[in-house]
Amino acid sequence: MIIASSAAPPGARSVDAMAPPTSRAHRLLLPARQFGTVIGLVALCAVLWILTPHFLTVSNLLNVAEQTSINAIVAVGMTFVILSAGIDLSVGSIVAIAGVVLGTALQAGQPLVVALALGVATGFACGLANGALISWGGLPPFIVTLGTMSIARGAALLFTEGRPISGFDAGFRVLATGRAGFVPAPVIVMGIVYAAAHFVLTRTTFGRYVYAIGGNEEATRLSGVPVRFHKTMIYGVSGLMSATAAVILTARLNSAQPIAGMMYELDAIAATVIGGTSLMGGDGTLGGTLVGALIMGVLRNGLNLLGVSSFLQQIVIGGVIVVAVLLDTVLKRRNRT
Amino acid sequence: MNEKRSASLLRRAVKTMKKALALILVVAAFSTCCNRGTTTTTTGRPTVAFVLKTLNHPFFVDMRRGAQEAADRLGVTLQVQAAEREIDVEKQMQIVENLIQTGVQALCITPSGSREIVSALVKARDAKVPIIVVDTRVDAKAAADAGVRTETFVGSDNYEGGRLAGEYLVKVTGGKARVGILEGIPGHETGDSRLRGFRDAVKATPGITIVASQPANWERDQGFNVFQNMLQAHSDIDSVFACSDLMALGALEAIAAAGRTGGIKVIGFDALDDAKKAIAAGTMEASVAQFPSEMGRAAVESAVKVIRSEPVPPDIKVRLELVTRHLLKPVSLLVTKIRRAGWRVRRSGEASTRRT
Repeated sequence: MIIASSAAPPGARSVDAMAPPTSRAHRLLLPARQFGTVIGLVALCAVLWILTPHFLTVSNLLNVAEQTSINAIVAVGMTFVILSAGIDLSVGSIVAIAGVVLGTALQAGQPLVVALALGVATGFACGLANGALISWGGLPPFIVTLGTMSIARGAALLFTEGRPISGFDAGFRVLATGRAGFVPAPVIVMGIVYAAAHFVLTRTTFGRYVYAIGGNEEATRLSGVPVRFHKTMIYGVSGLMSATAAVILTARLNSAQPIAGMMYELDAIAATVIGGTSLMGGDGTLGGTLVGALIMGVLRNGLNLLGVSSFLQQIVIGGVIVVAVLLDTVLKRRNRT
Repeated sequence: MNEKRSASLLRRAVKTMKKALALILVVAAFSTCCNRGTTTTTTGRPTVAFVLKTLNHPFFVDMRRGAQEAADRLGVTLQVQAAEREIDVEKQMQIVENLIQTGVQALCITPSGSREIVSALVKARDAKVPIIVVDTRVDAKAAADAGVRTETFVGSDNYEGGRLAGEYLVKVTGGKARVGILEGIPGHETGDSRLRGFRDAVKATPGITIVASQPANWERDQGFNVFQNMLQAHSDIDSVFACSDLMALGALEAIAAAGRTGGIKVIGFDALDDAKKAIAAGTMEASVAQFPSEMGRAAVESAVKVIRSEPVPPDIKVRLELVTRHLLKPVSLLVTKIRRAGWRVRRSGEASTRRT
């Protein structure tokens, strides 16, 4: 969890704009804040353990992890985007269009690898289109991705004439139904995605630029960083993650739906924000996002186990989001003074 | 100085964590005993899970009411859960997975997607939870491929309902009409069947032309917008068939906005309270009534039979009625049809004298 502080060598940050422009005390508090989210998760689990005997069982915890995987993967892309001080509202629609492209290719008898490549490429391309419009078109991310949200959804509906594409081979469905030992396949995919994304974010120049752009885009540009290219790639990563989530979702439901993924953008933003990533950019970690996604997954699962009314569930989840961000803000303010 | 400050901050954080953990452990240890206590006392009462498409539609609220009444009467615990949105198959699947974890003895479900839900039903099968399908059928082929067996289906025949609406339109317009249709979400078995029934019923009448047919996704505001657009394109539309009342009510508002109230005959589906009011006021022509509370009741009754290893018929049809202005005392056009003799679905409704 000591990602941010270990990633930027202490000497580097005073001389260039690429390291996150956070004060030293702030950076040192980061791990503590992260533990705050972990404590939140542990406390939540403990409360549920007390309230229901069905929560703390191996099968239920695996169940939660499996259910969380889709939102958690979408939230990886969202974290990249929010770290760069952007926003991506189109992730849910990209999930839908990548899913239906994948589903159509599978149904047309394409080999699994080709179909997967087509689906993932679709998502990546949508993300790159977002990024290019934002970087070179100079448009606000909110507007561009709002547009893509509608365009991609409409394209998915048009492409399928509104009908879901269902019924795939067991060879493809293994991605959702398979298990390695006792761990469900989606959880393994989630693990791989997080490991890879964490490496990219903390150990590559691209990763450092993500923080730098979010911290101070102008300063980063003046330091000679090709900001436009990297911003485009950041949205590309988001598209890629949405497409990966689409693969799992399609395998899980044995169906690619043009109406899939609605509101996923809000779940992904919530997971990212609960995980302590600042909407102002430049500050946050993937570990936090994973914990944020797990908190949401555990909440939904627990409220189901307890038989809480569906309406009350929405109130509780909304409340948790607000409290998490409030806590974050208070901690930051106290740190500044 | 910075180092000192950060060290103290970290120390403080660790201290808080320790305190929080200790508190959690104490509470947890204290409560485990109570936990065991409650589980043993509840095991005597079987639990039936009822997963609805959504709870923000009066249809499903009624269904829950009927199910709850039956559960109270039969002495079973009912766990009702629903997704926030009617079309959210993935969320519905999560709910099924979660409820299976609580060890329910039977699962009643109104599938959000006829094919997609099969993946969730596979999990119920693996957990040996018997499945009762309500209102929307599961795709037979997909279920067979996955090896899922459902105990019974409880619901109205939507195709028949569509036919009722179509036949009524032919009668009331004297066989001459220009019809606009508001469809449900494409690919939904429920809406598709209603649509087929309606089209089949008007097909034979040459004077009836369907000038436009567009999805309004079951929603009232979309019904309004889509019908407003239809009126722009085809001002000669004189009749509407909406696959649900919410869309029909939306269309009514669009008609009012265009100043043509009473000039366009609107037929809906579901006979919601608002629709019945509109029919009584003469602004709406008719609506096909389903009896969701009856469905809920029959589903829970079947679930209890299955738990007790009693036989249930494979198909339980719940009646449909056409509600029109003349008969706001509705005439039963399709009386409860049941395939196997000896099975009776209790009549729902206002005047029923159910024993409790």
